[in-house]
Amino acid sequence: MPRSSATRTSWSFDSKRVAQGEPLVELRDISLKFVSYFDKQYSLKRAALDLILRRSGPAPTSEFWALSNINLRIAKGERIGIVGSNGAGKSTLLRLLSRIYPPTSGSIRVRGSIAPLIEMGAGFNPELSGNENILLNGAMLGISKVEMQKKVDGIFEFTGLREFADLPLKYYSSGMYMRLAFAIATEIEPDILLIDESLGTGDAAFVDKAKARITGLLDRSNVVVIVSHDMTALRELCERGLWMHKGRIIADGPIDQIVDDYLTQSFSLASA
Amino acid sequence: MTTRTGVSVPHTEYFPQPKPPRLAWRWASIVADDRSQLTRFWPVIQNMVSQELRVRYQRSVLGFFWTLLNPILMMTTMSLVFSQVFGVDNKLYAVYLFAGMVPWGFLSNSVTESAFCIIASEGLIRKIYLPKLIFPLTKLLINLTTFILSMAALFVLLIPLGAKLSFSLLLLPVAVLLLAIFTLGLGLIVATMNTFYRDCGHLVAVFLQAWYFATPIMYELSRLPERVQWRLWLNPVFPFIRLFQVIIYDGRFPDLTTFLAAAGVALVSLGVGYAAFKCHEDKLVFRL
Repeated sequence: MPRSSATRTSWSFDSKRVAQGEPLVELRDISLKFVSYFDKQYSLKRAALDLILRRSGPAPTSEFWALSNINLRIAKGERIGIVGSNGAGKSTLLRLLSRIYPPTSGSIRVRGSIAPLIEMGAGFNPELSGNENILLNGAMLGISKVEMQKKVDGIFEFTGLREFADLPLKYYSSGMYMRLAFAIATEIEPDILLIDESLGTGDAAFVDKAKARITGLLDRSNVVVIVSHDMTALRELCERGLWMHKGRIIADGPIDQIVDDYLTQSFSLASA
Repeated sequence: MTTRTGVSVPHTEYFPQPKPPRLAWRWASIVADDRSQLTRFWPVIQNMVSQELRVRYQRSVLGFFWTLLNPILMMTTMSLVFSQVFGVDNKLYAVYLFAGMVPWGFLSNSVTESAFCIIASEGLIRKIYLPKLIFPLTKLLINLTTFILSMAALFVLLIPLGAKLSFSLLLLPVAVLLLAIFTLGLGLIVATMNTFYRDCGHLVAVFLQAWYFATPIMYELSRLPERVQWRLWLNPVFPFIRLFQVIIYDGRFPDLTTFLAAAGVALVSLGVGYAAFKCHEDKLVFRL
């Protein structure tokens, strides 16, 4: 039984070599299968029994294609908004792009550095202070300590958290947490920024600042991919829209059109 | 379709696609990739090691001393028991115990912690990409640091009891390195297995306990009957422990056989562990 394994996945973090017009991200026939087992954990006892009784491997209850046949090319400077109902595979796609999930089949090619904002505070250590977390997070995103130290000021400037710099992160509020994560991910100026529903949790002033910052990133022709249910924000920030449904991309076009189609569709579904 | 007559060219179409011909080349590229990844993420490892060390000893008054206290108490108890009850009249018994027990502690702690390192880092693995090799490696380095520090500190404490400074101590770093390689290999195997089969973590603890008694750490090799002694060479950890005992307790240079045995076992362990880990690295995230 084929299990998930990365096939022909190539990654490179050297963005300078990207020729003009070449896509930064290229997904070819990407599929991703999740297998859930009866008792979730395939235990040693089961394995031994299977071996003795010559049963073949763990009996999967359900196979679930989280993504199927995704073909996608993202060029430099594109800002993409992904819409779709819950469970359509939007977040899974972002996880795939940020290399957390390997594809079951197909090939991915990503050129350039990636900063994922998929879940808030990924890679933060609550025991450490804000300052130390900035350095740690930078290291995880591939920025050296010296380089990151230059950016610390900018991050505290943007978040307004300077007075809490030496406070362990476990005492931060969730809003402060989010602000810090966002500021780090954007301050390092990644080639590709992936955002999942994270603009919702700040106060109004911060959301405006965040939007301005994303637009700023775009001016330097970085790729931004946003997954959100906030249609106004998507219209404001993105230019290209993807509509995902049951693990497939069913529409790809200008954001306004995609959002309109999506809204009419889901509205008609809701009223039907 | 064309039909060909005469001498036909053998039809060469493979389905499924043939694997790359040389296994060795594939592994060479995997190793090269890991090397560049680990250099890139080296600061993360450093940071995780230093943070965890700090968190471990933060806010406890005795701090690092706790790491020393455990073997000291153990050694005191064992010395008393063995000298009083079993009548071992060896003044250097404490030194002998120290030479075997501290390296064993390093091995057993690292392996136990490695078993759960992937599962414990679920939050990180599901949120951000990191080479998974980081986690067992971090566990190893943390334990290696405490091992080296406690080794040095305990040695100083044992000098009044008869631990002697000798030139053979210069070989200690080599012994430590070999033991660390061996331990890393075991850690990788256990980390992979435990992520797929959660029972392994519990088995490991039991297994290590049995292994401890099967290794001449508390008892001396020379006290065993002559005809049984060779069997100890079947115990993969024996050459490592022997290295430490010869260097620290006997105060002489270990013979080449012991060194070669240890190096061989260490390389096999690392090779198997690395291969097992790399073959399943991609699937780990689906089993969390």
